[in-house]
Amino acid sequence: MNKYNPPRMNPSSLRSRFATRFLRTLSKINAQKPTSSSSPTEIFRRYRRIKAAADKSMAYSVRSRRTWSRAMLWKLRTRPCGRRSVKTSTIIKSREARKTRHEKQNKNTTTTTTTTTGEDGVVFGVEADELRELVPGGEAMDLYNLLDETAHYIKCLTTQVQVMKKIADFYSP
Amino acid sequence: MELNAGTAGTGSHKTASERDEVAALESLQFTDEIRRLMSAPATDNASSFTALLELPAPQAVQLIHSPDSAKLIAAPAPAPNVDEFKGSFNFPFNSGLIERATRFSLFAGDGSINDNNKSNSPEPTSYNSSANLQKPVKSEPAETESYQPLVSDPTVENRSTKRKDREKVKGSTKKSKTGAKDSSDDAEKLPYVHVRARRGQATDSHSLAERARREKINARMKLLQELVPGCSKISGTALVLDEIINHVQSLQRQVEFLSMRLAAVNPRIDFNLDSVFTAESGSLMDSNFSGMVMPMMLPEVQLNGNRQQYPQQLHFDAFQQPVWGTEEVCNNYITPENSLLSYDSSGNSASLHSNQLKMEL
Repeated sequence: MNKYNPPRMNPSSLRSRFATRFLRTLSKINAQKPTSSSSPTEIFRRYRRIKAAADKSMAYSVRSRRTWSRAMLWKLRTRPCGRRSVKTSTIIKSREARKTRHEKQNKNTTTTTTTTTGEDGVVFGVEADELRELVPGGEAMDLYNLLDETAHYIKCLTTQVQVMKKIADFYSP
Repeated sequence: MELNAGTAGTGSHKTASERDEVAALESLQFTDEIRRLMSAPATDNASSFTALLELPAPQAVQLIHSPDSAKLIAAPAPAPNVDEFKGSFNFPFNSGLIERATRFSLFAGDGSINDNNKSNSPEPTSYNSSANLQKPVKSEPAETESYQPLVSDPTVENRSTKRKDREKVKGSTKKSKTGAKDSSDDAEKLPYVHVRARRGQATDSHSLAERARREKINARMKLLQELVPGCSKISGTALVLDEIINHVQSLQRQVEFLSMRLAAVNPRIDFNLDSVFTAESGSLMDSNFSGMVMPMMLPEVQLNGNRQQYPQQLHFDAFQQPVWGTEEVCNNYITPENSLLSYDSSGNSASLHSNQLKMEL
């Protein structure tokens, strides 16, 4: 009978990076919880925190290489968080400065490309707007970069879903 | 088109005087082209030069790709053949045409030489043929400019301006002269897109840039089509985008469901990071990527009618009836996952592995 050797994972792959980070955050969240927390409000609150942790760990795994990860991190940092308002204000300022600079660059490219009335600009009008809403940070991007970001975003989302499902499977009875 | 008019009119000329020459020069495939060149202008005056112009390019292609092209180089000179023609035919524009024919034969020889050089290069064959197309075509308009005072044909001037625009845009061509569109895979191979103006299209820099941009976008759309399952069958960019939007929304909703599930499940079991992580690293390698995602989409489709309103409904339900919500979610997730694990051959080992770990716990 053959011994089952699990194949080695690439330690720097997106999946492993996300998995480690998310598990760490998850254990932190669970350490915080009170013993009896089956009330709906508590579960809901924890759900929000877990979802934010998942998004944040995903964005951190991508490391600001992508526009959507930067936008997501910025969004998560500026969410109304009662306890950490002082810290976030300084972070917000630096983030804002960086983001407005980035958006200005993007807007420059946007203005030059959207003035040209190619048939693609007309055809993709409605769907492109919807896509911009879905992909974080997609508002200030031209169509080509938007498609690029969407592709990477889809890939990262599928990784996230896979890892989270594995974790949930592991802990379901 | 002048080409067809030219060739249609040649029928009467071909039979009588050309037969002798054809018999003598049968080894060269060159003869057909030269014949057509000589006799085409007999029909039309104004269109003669353009007929002459339009002929060489496709003929040049045939010449280049013909196996006898080596003979063209090896032959002592095509010029004596042209001289033979010269004596037999009577044309209104005799000298000009003969000169043009000699130049055509000469640079057709050059084109074949370039072809031999290019065939050694590691370029793909599509580039090879289109680049060879470029050579004779480019040298043809070079001659039109020299004949500019003779001919005031708008099409000729159009071609010369086209050549200038082409020279503005970078070197190797992407599209064939016949107007067939290349696959947008070529756009992805190059670091930047080479655009060439097709016949009858606007050649100002704005439209060229637009066309380049459009091709880039189409290349990206193809990538996305491959990424999103079930999108490759759909034709039409709007529908593909709809599919992509659907996919992204379903993925985001799956993340929400899973985080909800984790929030509900966690209070029961003690959280041990090490055991989880070993299980993760083992099972993550086994499972198939796309296989996991696809069946997940089915319960989503069943549950959700409307795109926009559902996440809000989820929050509302979660707030009021969390037990029911998580149970429903759990039920919906367990059955497709079990079926999923049974479908996926590599996933079977994953389920085995996780079961072993659960038994250890």
